[in-house]
Amino acid sequence: MNDGTVNKYWKSPESRNRSVAMPERTLDESVAEESAAGTIDRRRFLEAAGFTLSLATVAGCDSARAPDKKALPLIEQPEGMVPGRMRYYASTCSGCSAACGLLAGVRDGRPLKMEGNPEHPLSRGGLCAVGQALPLGLYDSHRLDNPLKDGSNASWGDVDAEIIAALQQIEVSGGAVRMVTDTVTSPTLQASIDDFLSRFADARHVTFDAAGSGSIRRAHEKTHGAAVLPHYLFERADVIVSFGADFLGTWISPVEFTAAWRTRRVPDGPHPKMSYHAQLESRMTLTGSNADERLVIRPEEEGLVLSHLAAILAQRAGVSLTGSELAPAPIAAEQLQDLADRLWEARGRSLIVSASEDDQVQILVNFLNHVLGNYGKTLDMERPSHQQQGSDADVAALVKELRDGKVAALLVAGIDLTHYLPAHEKLVQAISQIPLTVSFAERWNDFAQLAKFVCPDHHILESWLDAEPVRGVFSLVQPTVQPLKGTRSILESLATWSEKPAFAQDVLRTNWQEKVFPRQNRVSDFGTFWDQSLHDGFAKIVTDPVTTSPFDQSAVALFDAAPEVIDYTLILHNTIAIPDSRHAHNPWLQELPDPVSKVTWDNYASVAPETAKELSLQDGDVVRIEAHDSGTTIELPAFVQPGQHPRVLSVALGYGSPGTDRFANIGPEWLESKSTVGRNGLVGTNAAPLLVLDDERLLHVHTGVRLTKTAAHHALATTQEHDSLDVPPEVAPLGGERRHAIEETTLVQFAANPKSGSHAHPLGDVQLWAEDHPQEGHAWGMAIDLNACSGCSACLIACQSENNVPVVGRDEVRRQREMHWIRIDRYYSGEGANTTVSHQPMMCQHCDNAPCETVCPVLATVHSEEGLNQQVYNRCVGTRYCANNCPYKVRRFNWFDYPHNDVFENLSLNPDVTVRSRGVMEKCSMCVQRIQEAKIESQCSGEPIVDGQIQPACQQTCPASAIVFGDLNDPDSKVSAAMNTPRGYRVLEELNVRPSVGYLRIVRNRETDTHAEDHHDG
Amino acid sequence: MQRQTVAIVLLIGLAFGLVSLTPAMSSWRLFDNQQGYAPPQPIAFSHRLHAGELQLDCRFCHTAAGESRHAGIPSSDTCMKCHKFVTAPYGLVQDEVSKAGEENREPNVVVSEEIAKLYEALGLGEDLQPDPEKTPQPVAWVRVHDLPDFVYFDHRAHVHAGVSCQKCHGPVESMQQMRQFSDLTMGWCVNCHRESNAKGIEGHAMDASLDCASCHY
Repeated sequence: MNDGTVNKYWKSPESRNRSVAMPERTLDESVAEESAAGTIDRRRFLEAAGFTLSLATVAGCDSARAPDKKALPLIEQPEGMVPGRMRYYASTCSGCSAACGLLAGVRDGRPLKMEGNPEHPLSRGGLCAVGQALPLGLYDSHRLDNPLKDGSNASWGDVDAEIIAALQQIEVSGGAVRMVTDTVTSPTLQASIDDFLSRFADARHVTFDAAGSGSIRRAHEKTHGAAVLPHYLFERADVIVSFGADFLGTWISPVEFTAAWRTRRVPDGPHPKMSYHAQLESRMTLTGSNADERLVIRPEEEGLVLSHLAAILAQRAGVSLTGSELAPAPIAAEQLQDLADRLWEARGRSLIVSASEDDQVQILVNFLNHVLGNYGKTLDMERPSHQQQGSDADVAALVKELRDGKVAALLVAGIDLTHYLPAHEKLVQAISQIPLTVSFAERWNDFAQLAKFVCPDHHILESWLDAEPVRGVFSLVQPTVQPLKGTRSILESLATWSEKPAFAQDVLRTNWQEKVFPRQNRVSDFGTFWDQSLHDGFAKIVTDPVTTSPFDQSAVALFDAAPEVIDYTLILHNTIAIPDSRHAHNPWLQELPDPVSKVTWDNYASVAPETAKELSLQDGDVVRIEAHDSGTTIELPAFVQPGQHPRVLSVALGYGSPGTDRFANIGPEWLESKSTVGRNGLVGTNAAPLLVLDDERLLHVHTGVRLTKTAAHHALATTQEHDSLDVPPEVAPLGGERRHAIEETTLVQFAANPKSGSHAHPLGDVQLWAEDHPQEGHAWGMAIDLNACSGCSACLIACQSENNVPVVGRDEVRRQREMHWIRIDRYYSGEGANTTVSHQPMMCQHCDNAPCETVCPVLATVHSEEGLNQQVYNRCVGTRYCANNCPYKVRRFNWFDYPHNDVFENLSLNPDVTVRSRGVMEKCSMCVQRIQEAKIESQCSGEPIVDGQIQPACQQTCPASAIVFGDLNDPDSKVSAAMNTPRGYRVLEELNVRPSVGYLRIVRNRETDTHAEDHHDG
Repeated sequence: MQRQTVAIVLLIGLAFGLVSLTPAMSSWRLFDNQQGYAPPQPIAFSHRLHAGELQLDCRFCHTAAGESRHAGIPSSDTCMKCHKFVTAPYGLVQDEVSKAGEENREPNVVVSEEIAKLYEALGLGEDLQPDPEKTPQPVAWVRVHDLPDFVYFDHRAHVHAGVSCQKCHGPVESMQQMRQFSDLTMGWCVNCHRESNAKGIEGHAMDASLDCASCHY
């Protein structure tokens, strides 16, 4: 084990090859703005504190009675409601336009916890981090409470009167009315918008997505005669080749795609089989980090690689394809041939996807899928996706109209229009000239600042709405609480301004009765159909297929030249945590470590290690990115990202939103606390000025940008090196000690030997507490399939929502004090372009021989009869011995009473879990409150607990179903079965702590193990 | 502040603390132990009358005790199951009837002072119909049994195990004003769990958990 100092797995470029000395603490005091110029020194502070404490003690002892507490019962108890019991209502998520099904848990009238709807045909029970974070958005005290006129409070009546008058005038004068929204998947909202616009002579609905798939629809218009976005069926694909499409993270419908992709990632069984997934990309996306083969190319080179593939496959299929000599491909000829072979082998079972914004690239993708016979098999054109309908051309035309002053009324819903467009100042000036501007934003954003009227829409948990994310799949949104603020549904606002006011529920019901109900034939009575759909959350309707024409090859053109390299290429992308700026207000999502970079609370310019070396950049060094063409510059901290193309930079959009100034003082207040916002007073920097808007398109890839280093430094709050399982060099045996957390193998090796990749340190026989803890009843345990886990971090927010995990703010994250009970450890291995990523969810392992328990001087952490490692907050005195002795580093200490001053926000707290106070340790409890609930229910009903009945929050939300929880004492339980497969292993088994959490080894579908490492024989 | 000053102030504080503590030592008990707490309530509701004399079952009003963690304080409309008709004690009504008989008139509706508070809270008019002028307000009962925030007690588990309500809440049927009967300390909980495991409850063997995480999470 002690055979080298080089780690096979590493968490950050700096931690690699790190020898004896740990670096000085990376806290950069010079960066963040000092708050409160303190004049009190430490000694003085302690004196004062001691005095206060003694007085408080005296005062406390004397009071025999706590102050009276009130208990307010309901005035009228609704039928079926039981105080203290969670009831679930099926609804639809609105976090992005994927429209996943969810079950909203409502307790005592409060929506508290979102769960995936297991019966939903698309999302299949999964829900992403954004969906999990919905309740915090509902109880957001910064949500607008009433309409605004010119930025000040107004009443709905006044606002309506003025808007109606303005609209009437426009109707007479024939002025242009433009309604801008993000993709509207709701047929009812679409009908309302169409109806609202119908009375104007010049009206248009512009759909603008933060990241659109317009090129895919345009390409299909040319090749199939129908401008549709196909419904991709990853569950049918044996070979997946993705050109930059982050389908597990941010592309179109990630939860659905993850669930589908995962079904083909199970190699267990007598004849191991797995899908093959190749990713050709330039930045390290979550999808790329999970690929079997990841090839690093520039975005401009996608066309050339596709052309090579097209040439090879066209020849095999006997399709003639004219084209001149192709320039050499940017990837090795063998790799190209291998890809072509695999695709040809899997005709009709393969899938090529691309996120390119170039129509010609998408046409080549269509050609390949056509030649491979994938249409109708892995791509559904008959029932296409409606999840992205944004049109760049419409947006470009709108901007032109705005600049020319041709728009009389501009209404914006869903997307923060001006935040996502370049040339901000010109646009602001143009918009300020428009007679009528209306924003439907729920809270302050860039466009809301400009709009004459802000008419805030309800939160989705207060709304009636629907969605048709994929043709024929209808979802309903139902309110789970009375509107908490003075907001109004957009359906009602549009109806009022059309001068036919109606309730949102009636608008929706009527639309379903007229348009949806007649399209089904299962139920004959609308009332039953409506009730059933509302109960299920969705309805599947048989629809007429979209008609397409036979494949038209005339549009196919090969890319024959190698694109030249002009400085750097910039990719502007969305992140998993902040898919668009609407979510920037959510502190849970801001503090979610990015699944790949592990950075919180900031956006940054990702650069390759080679680039960093060239410009001698360190993480956090501020760089200037300058566009050659427009001369626009932005300054951002750099982040060194292994696996990135050396000529490519990538920056996340959605940051630097005007509302994020609210986070200036988030986190605990103390003498050394520092602000969470940057120099601009906001969280992150808006990178939209670098978007390229030409006459037809809004491009997220900007070729030819210059990168220079500035003298400034902005320390990023990244968790990538936190809680390392490695033994710190200063206490390790000579030469360092490696600890194996990740085990992996290749499919070929796995087929030959199912135990391949094992480090096999069998559990010792020594048990510390065998006599005291016979564990005869249940023994709760968990198995996590690392081959299924994509690292998407939905579990992290689910846990935060379920277990009242506090937000600590950027400065505290930098001090390694983030409080998440579950973290996703991300390990790199390999070199340069061959960098391989492994994700590993890590939480309390509930060890049988728990090292934390033996060192607690007050027995605040003890073992339960059912194998749980219990943490008793009221006993804990905060010695932190347990955290020091934990080999997995999963314990979290409350350095502060994390603020719960926002009474409104506190409504999102789970009443079944204690809010921990300062000075106590906490950690994953395996959602013991859910276990208790199930046990008590089982005692009351006499029915035994069924395997799978108890689902911790992390398991419930996991889109990849990677987590299984259950009873290890039950040999038939799913968790026992998972642990007994040859892939099962336990992390740090060699320590004989006997963890109750096991992992299933990663199997990569690779021919050779490029990172082969011989452990036992070497 | 000079250090000496701090020291002097500290000493004074300590002395003051000791002096004020000494007389309290005789009735020493744990901080937060509120045994015997019987605060006045906004409506002088009598458990002795309802549960004792009238023999209403506890769960007639505290409906959730068998289904949920919380027994639940009854919603105001629960009271109206009876008090729609019962507006005052029988004696008062009788007096009015006989008085009306003497005066040869129809008897008036008699509403007792305490029940009038209920009607007021429900926003009812004199005819006991909702008065549009009034907004219904919940009755602000003062909480008698209040466990610390880090303890999770579950009524339904105990009700289904056959633990009587009186075991913890005492002879509620004889309490004019509700008071905390038991001390509700952890030692008291654990003792009962141990005893139940040893002796069973009403002849049934028990497996009452002694795990910390049964109540603390």
